[in-house]
Amino acid sequence: MRRYLILIAYEPWNWNTATEETRAAFFAQHGAFSAFVAEHGREVASAALDDADTATTVRHVDGKVVVTDGPFAETAEMIGGYYEVELPDLDTAIAAVTLLPPSYSLEIRPVIDIT
Amino acid sequence: MSDAELARVVREEWGRLIALLLARFRRLDLVEDALADAVEVAAHRWRADGVPDNPAAWLNTAASRRVLDRLRAEAMQQRRAPLLVTDSEHRQSRAGAMADTGDLVEDDVLRLVLMCTHPALAPEAASALALRLVLGVSTPDVARLFLVPESTMAARITRAKKKIVAAGIPFAVPGAGLLPERVDTVAQTAYLAFTAGYAPGSGPDLLRAGLAGEALRLVRVVLAQRPRESVLIALLALMLLQHSRRDARVGAEGALVQLADQNRAMWHAPEIAEALGLLRSFGPTPALTLQGAAYLIQAQIAAEHATADTAAVTRWDRIVRRYDALLQLTPSPAAQLARAVAVAESEGPAAGLDALDDVHMPASHRPAAVRGELLARLGRTDAARAALEEAVGQCRNESEATHLRKRLTELG
Repeated sequence: MRRYLILIAYEPWNWNTATEETRAAFFAQHGAFSAFVAEHGREVASAALDDADTATTVRHVDGKVVVTDGPFAETAEMIGGYYEVELPDLDTAIAAVTLLPPSYSLEIRPVIDIT
Repeated sequence: MSDAELARVVREEWGRLIALLLARFRRLDLVEDALADAVEVAAHRWRADGVPDNPAAWLNTAASRRVLDRLRAEAMQQRRAPLLVTDSEHRQSRAGAMADTGDLVEDDVLRLVLMCTHPALAPEAASALALRLVLGVSTPDVARLFLVPESTMAARITRAKKKIVAAGIPFAVPGAGLLPERVDTVAQTAYLAFTAGYAPGSGPDLLRAGLAGEALRLVRVVLAQRPRESVLIALLALMLLQHSRRDARVGAEGALVQLADQNRAMWHAPEIAEALGLLRSFGPTPALTLQGAAYLIQAQIAAEHATADTAAVTRWDRIVRRYDALLQLTPSPAAQLARAVAVAESEGPAAGLDALDDVHMPASHRPAAVRGELLARLGRTDAARAALEEAVGQCRNESEATHLRKRLTELG
């Protein structure tokens, strides 16, 4: 088994004004993902994140801590959530994330064991 | 004598040996170096002791010993490196066979090809890796093919191998649902290597055309295991037809010779014959992926040229129809331009100019060059000169620019 972090990015949109059908579709797609992961491996953790305009970035610049408003990178898409999963290989991970809502861009990153 | 035999074994068996070692040890980071070491030892040993009865098995044993030495050294250091993933049923079913004589299993080569050409790798890296691991093409040669410095190519290959291990790209054949897509990627990867060999470069082009031929070998390796993959059959036909012209396309002083001006006696007839045979194996409505259908039509267009005894008797009317079909499948400005040229040859320069109106290739000098040529044929010299001058201004390839300037002088 390998451990992957799946980063979910999408263009900002308003969940609160989404129709009932849209919400139901999102729940069903996340449900299908979770069921697939449970069948082939294990879900370690997951979370949905608040919008990128609530993000704070902290960097060390010339020895000083600099706090700025906003995410790491300014892009049209923002990271809106993540899953950490254990799955046998990349092909299985790709198969799993294709079950998530098609409006997402998904980044699959292997998690390194540093113990 | 033994050197020649060693070179032959390396050329023919490299991919199978890598695949076999991977199936057994699952350590991509070790097996390539181990096999390279084994080849080096063989070069000395075989010269002294003669070539062994089964040279491939000898190399396999020697390389396996190297891997085992490394694994033992690692175990001593209590380090654990990540293993390459294989599908578990593959491991189980093969567990017995692996333990004994080390038979070469054809299926493992397919696993190796699919691993090297995985869509999670950058196409250029996948292409280079496949040539290196499946065909044993040396890193300097792969670098020459892709026109990059050797150190750049070595880093690219190392990075690709690292990604395979770190990301968990499997050494496995995917399920039937996914396989056609993956075979399409194999085809794209092979064609990328092939076209790299024909990209204009500063080096000796003939040598790189030879390296482009290695891409043909990659297709043959996969076809040997999956003879019915129609996308690969169509691609092989296309590559054979293009490759058959390699000696005729370079003239004295290394200048590019246009298709119409090539000495057709220099085309490789056996390769053309093989390609035509492959094309005949397709029925009127072949079952193909979109990718495969596009290769098939391009091969059929190349076949029209290959079967015309002289440029003058080329069936341009049929070529126009093929381009129409290709554009319906996969519209592209390059195919539109080629269609416009075919229309001009078939129906005259005025019709060609009309067809050219739809072609938009802002970064290329070619539409302007073709327009200039067609205007010249119509006797509209001033307009022709303006178009050719525009083309010269946009042209980045020296030998093509020289050709365009020559045309300008001829216009007077």
